[in-house]
Amino acid sequence: MTGGGKTFDAVLHILDRQVLDVDKLPVTAVDDIELSDLPEGPFPDGTPAPVITNLVAGAVLATRMFGGRPPSSRLKRIAWRHVAELGTVLRLNIHGEDLDLLWTERWVHRHIIGRIPGGSHDPQ
Amino acid sequence: MKKLLGLALGILTAIGGFVDIGDLVTNAVVGSRFGLGLVWVTLLGIVGICLFAQMSGRVAAVSGRTTFEIIRERLGPRASASNLAASFLINLMTLTAEVGGIALTLQLASSVHYLAWVPVAAVAVWLVVWRVKFKILENVAGLLGLTLIVFAVALFMLNPDWPQLAGQAAAPTVPEGEEPATYWYYAVALFGAAMTPYEVFFFSSGAVEEKWTVKDLNQSRVNVLVGFPLGGLLSIAIAGCAAVVLLPAQIGVTSLSQVVLPVAQAGGKLALAFVLVGILAATFGAALETTLSSGYTLAQYFGWSWGKFRRPVQAARFHLTMIVGLLIGVAVLMTGVDPVQVTEYSVVFSAIALPLTYIPILIIANDPEYMGERVNGRTTNLLGTVFLVVILAAAVAAVPLMIVTGAGS
Repeated sequence: MTGGGKTFDAVLHILDRQVLDVDKLPVTAVDDIELSDLPEGPFPDGTPAPVITNLVAGAVLATRMFGGRPPSSRLKRIAWRHVAELGTVLRLNIHGEDLDLLWTERWVHRHIIGRIPGGSHDPQ
Repeated sequence: MKKLLGLALGILTAIGGFVDIGDLVTNAVVGSRFGLGLVWVTLLGIVGICLFAQMSGRVAAVSGRTTFEIIRERLGPRASASNLAASFLINLMTLTAEVGGIALTLQLASSVHYLAWVPVAAVAVWLVVWRVKFKILENVAGLLGLTLIVFAVALFMLNPDWPQLAGQAAAPTVPEGEEPATYWYYAVALFGAAMTPYEVFFFSSGAVEEKWTVKDLNQSRVNVLVGFPLGGLLSIAIAGCAAVVLLPAQIGVTSLSQVVLPVAQAGGKLALAFVLVGILAATFGAALETTLSSGYTLAQYFGWSWGKFRRPVQAARFHLTMIVGLLIGVAVLMTGVDPVQVTEYSVVFSAIALPLTYIPILIIANDPEYMGERVNGRTTNLLGTVFLVVILAAAVAAVPLMIVTGAGS
């Protein structure tokens, strides 16, 4: 893949990197990436190369390790257009709160950590 | 002036923070059985921890990446998941040992059974992790831990046969009645105690917590290079006290009261009070560090939000991990398992896990994408590679030695 003339290796430079949202809040690590569809069978001449459509996180980590693939409906995605910068971390141009994949963080926040006194204060 | 104070503070906390329950127990056991015959291992361990703590701190300051993020990026999800499982479990074991250490110290001070103190200790640790600023928790534990200097004072007051001690240290031999395998088993344990991986997780995450930049590197280098060796001297003093008092009397170290016995003999009640404060601070400080490390490793592997610089609700899963970690530690201790034995096993398992932590650090410290021009110099790389060989040897030898010696018995 090329971006701005610089060549990136998807496995080395994207997979397993930390993703930060627009406020530099950690969102997830890149558990997998999703590519655009290719036609079935032999490719006709001039078929465009697949491009990265989404970063994927969550249950897909287990299938990446042990094989198989989770149903597409279970994938937690971040659309590639939200990736603003590619460095030793991936920076997004949106807030993590808007992302479906942070539901566990929100659940623990709402039901456990947020209910313990002092949880929403700065440390002293 | 302020800079100088900051420097002094950093060094003092590094000294006080170096010793934990693993160092206390292992050094006392080794001193009571082998005298100062294993001092070379402690010295080796100090060089190693200085080298790699400094390296992980530099990586964190320059790239903003902590050790476990790097482990995941470099080893891929599968290898790093097994690394995570091993590191997390061993860290949990160390956490259990430290909480047990707090409880045992409180038992020595109060005569109330340690099992009654375990929940108190865990709640106290949690409260600090929950509410207190990173900088304050780090400094207070480190400074109170300085009272462990009483071990060095006690060694002088015991008026030992210095040439004999120096002889044990300079020309190590396996004492009569001890097997060579046992000697090497404790060498591995001592090495594991000095180089425990949580120190590196904590150090690199701490650099991010305190928002270190390249400018802070010089100070951190001085803290490590002066503070850790001085802390290591405390370890040697602990072994020395045991060598002078316990070895001739053939007293084996099976509990914390034997660890402090030489100090009480040398300095009476006052020294005993000091040493109890010191052990309490050292174990409490290490309990904080291991609790945080359990959160750091898991959160950094999965890419969760983490850190004491955030409010707990902004790092919910990180805080939940630490709470669960402490609860597991309490549950294990409540079964009545001997915390001293948990400690002895935790340092050996630490030795086994060492390569998992230190190899990725060495690789990233050489990667210009992360480090720019601040990649490792040639000397650092040479030392790092030599240490990697030692670390691998210790890790490979640990399990066979444990089986052959029946865990050192």
